Amino acid sequence: MSVAPSFGQVLGFFAFLGRRTGKTRVFAILGLMPVALAVIVRIVLHGRAGLMAAVFTDILMVFFLQFYIVILALFYGSSVTAEEVENRTLSYLLTRPIPKPAIVLGKYAAYSLLMFAMVSLSLALSYFIMNAARLGDPALYLTFLGYLGVLGLGILAYTAFFTFLGTLLKRAIIVGLVFGFGWENVIQYFPGSTQRFSIVHYLKSLLPYRPMSGGGRGVALLLFRLEPTAPLTAVLMLAVITAVLLALACWIFRTKEYLTED
Amino acid sequence: MTAVIAASNLSKWYGNVLGLNDVSLEIEEGITGLLGPNGAGKSTFMKLITGQMKPAIGTVTVRGRRAWNSPEVFRGIGFCPEQDVFYDELTGWEFLTGLLRFYGYAKSEIGDRAARALDIVDLAKDKDRLIRGYSRGMRQRIKFAQAIAHDPGILILDEPLSGLDPLGKRKLIRLIKEFRSQGRTVLVSSHVLPEIEALTSRIVLIHQGKILAQGDIPYIRELIEAHPHQISVRSSEPRTLAARFVGDPSIQKMTFASDGRTLIVETHKRDEFFGRLTGVVLEAGIEVEEITSPDDNLQAVFEYLVGK
Amino acid sequence: MATVREKGYSHWDGRLCERRFPWWPITRTGIQLAFRKKRFKVLFAGAFIPAFVFLVGLYISERLEDFKTIIQGSDRLLNIGPKYFSTYFANGGLLFLIVLVLAFGAGGLIADDLKHNSLQLYFSRPLGKKDYLLGKMSVVGFFVLVFTAVPGLVLIIFKLIFAGSFKFFLQYPWLPLSVLGFSALLTVFLAFYILLLSALSKNSRYVFILIFGTYIFSNVAFGILQSIFRTPYMALFSIPVNLQQVGAFVFGQKPPHNVPAVWSFAVLAAICGLSAAVLDRKIRSVEVIK
Repeated sequence: MSVAPSFGQVLGFFAFLGRRTGKTRVFAILGLMPVALAVIVRIVLHGRAGLMAAVFTDILMVFFLQFYIVILALFYGSSVTAEEVENRTLSYLLTRPIPKPAIVLGKYAAYSLLMFAMVSLSLALSYFIMNAARLGDPALYLTFLGYLGVLGLGILAYTAFFTFLGTLLKRAIIVGLVFGFGWENVIQYFPGSTQRFSIVHYLKSLLPYRPMSGGGRGVALLLFRLEPTAPLTAVLMLAVITAVLLALACWIFRTKEYLTED
Repeated sequence: MTAVIAASNLSKWYGNVLGLNDVSLEIEEGITGLLGPNGAGKSTFMKLITGQMKPAIGTVTVRGRRAWNSPEVFRGIGFCPEQDVFYDELTGWEFLTGLLRFYGYAKSEIGDRAARALDIVDLAKDKDRLIRGYSRGMRQRIKFAQAIAHDPGILILDEPLSGLDPLGKRKLIRLIKEFRSQGRTVLVSSHVLPEIEALTSRIVLIHQGKILAQGDIPYIRELIEAHPHQISVRSSEPRTLAARFVGDPSIQKMTFASDGRTLIVETHKRDEFFGRLTGVVLEAGIEVEEITSPDDNLQAVFEYLVGK
Repeated sequence: MATVREKGYSHWDGRLCERRFPWWPITRTGIQLAFRKKRFKVLFAGAFIPAFVFLVGLYISERLEDFKTIIQGSDRLLNIGPKYFSTYFANGGLLFLIVLVLAFGAGGLIADDLKHNSLQLYFSRPLGKKDYLLGKMSVVGFFVLVFTAVPGLVLIIFKLIFAGSFKFFLQYPWLPLSVLGFSALLTVFLAFYILLLSALSKNSRYVFILIFGTYIFSNVAFGILQSIFRTPYMALFSIPVNLQQVGAFVFGQKPPHNVPAVWSFAVLAAICGLSAAVLDRKIRSVEVIK
């Protein structure tokens, strides 16, 4: 039985289901926080484009990159397997003619799409509100796409990691929290190659780093102590990390038994 | 008849606890009842058949194919789990059509199949309600609907009648019997003896992870040589009848029922007893009103086998 | 029709004695269940590290001469007084560890009851909503007090033992009261906070993220707003900062941010009020399904 058609079927089902849950609404509302902030800042700092740009890069991007996508990926990634086991709905999936890897990959893809939609909307609204004075500048859109790409890759990589954790461990949340808010925050300030043992290092290496034309420091704050990896290498590393972790997750899910509490 | 489901030396551990102990059996077409108390290993066996667990020792195949990591097998299997769990955010319709997607049917076919399954379980008018708002019986029926919607040749039903009212049970029993008449194989588990008796006479008795017996109820009864048969004779002169049999070495025990008219005899040699009974009755001119075997039923068989 | 007496029933003429503390079995079970979780014991033990560090600090402060060559400027650093205790109680690390312990050990207090429809089991006993909530809050109270009041009082006792005199106590006689007072405040707030979030979902994994995420996010929001508006009043958005403000007030210290402590009290009280309202609505013996 081929994984590809089943993958699409699982993706469709869980994309539909994921949109329905209350938790998605809560996370979507969380994503409105930067938008609300953008509106407030726009009113308060009206006319000071440089300052507004700086607020976006120095503050809001930190929120997106080091909090929002991590918490989203932690919840949805660990839910790929854990949700089915905890809710005891795994039997409905395992007794269908779909290969087990298709379940993992399909759910992963569905949740990644959902997260990307939430992040995109939040990023787009907050970014363009903050930079409303420069909407005629084509560079603005390129920068936006750069940020969106980084966050998209971050979602894929982090979700793959937490999916792997979720298939392996019963209580993946604790380990995930330690990794996402502990390791990732600390290791990036270590010198030399140590930084490369984190996902956020490669994401930061891809950030569009250029001083904003209206002033501001670009993403200087985010790049503090960063010894960046070349962009192509960073994309490759993120792709490899994602692929390897997903492959491991599929292999574990295929070979492991998940006993539900009856 | 070739076996539809075959288990060979099947064992399964949960840590140090033996869930299933060297089970070898074959399930043929028709309805087979899997009977045992709670914790006997029924659900473990069903999970092994449906590929949700991997055997520790031995094999289990469905139509010659192993269920573990063989998704194709499930095209022909419908499984109704015991747990009362669903994707609560979905309506009945969304739940059925969502799961039918996994079979690769066209959209129109998915709709037809879902509608048909809902009609069968009498949930068509509630299809657009959230499953969260269904009653216990409705939830059981939607679970059954998802097991039959793709027209499987084999149905594995884990306690399908639990939570249903008497009318609902009767309806589902009739439905299951209809499946049998269509040539399908049904394996039903329950710990409620009358439910199994109503469905089938072919049973597998399981207790503490072991198969105690398999076959028709009377056949199993015959096998239990250790336990004497009980025969109840209601007549006008039970004591006269008793007096005639008291010297018979094949009679283990005789008691009188509280109605004062019934003699209950326990014997290892049932056929011999019946042979002698005819002669005694004619000779003594006793009017016999009724002859029954009180323990020729599943309850008695089960109690003998589990040693209660 | 035969009377009940004839059928073998008889009326009991005694008086139903209610348990003095009907909530105690809930508390006891909640604590036991927390310790049954695999990694909880490790986390619980780890949360004592700040107390241990401060205890070592107390010892070093009494033996400064011995450690002078190792620690430079130590007399300023290890000047044991109310500030030392305020630093222990209001340090971000301890608060974070307590929240982590509570998220792991107490996150499912109400969420698991909602998931398994257990509320009806509770309320079919002679147990009121107040007893139920008090029992659940006491679980949170146990864990908070074990990391605050107990180590706080132990630190005071060890200070007296290491110093070999009661001088410290005579100098700061109100210190034990401050320790108990802040511990009680922290207990009440965290009890309401944890139970509020636990009552919002049947999924304990999601509750864990809510507890942890809200705590972290409030601090992130403070950082963001502070950078933009550059006013200390943005500190009121942060749960840990509000706790630190209140802690500084209780120990008679200067608050870390230039905001009157009464505002922090008000914010924490508002969260408790919100929690009370949500809990009153959520904790019902009958679930209404629409």
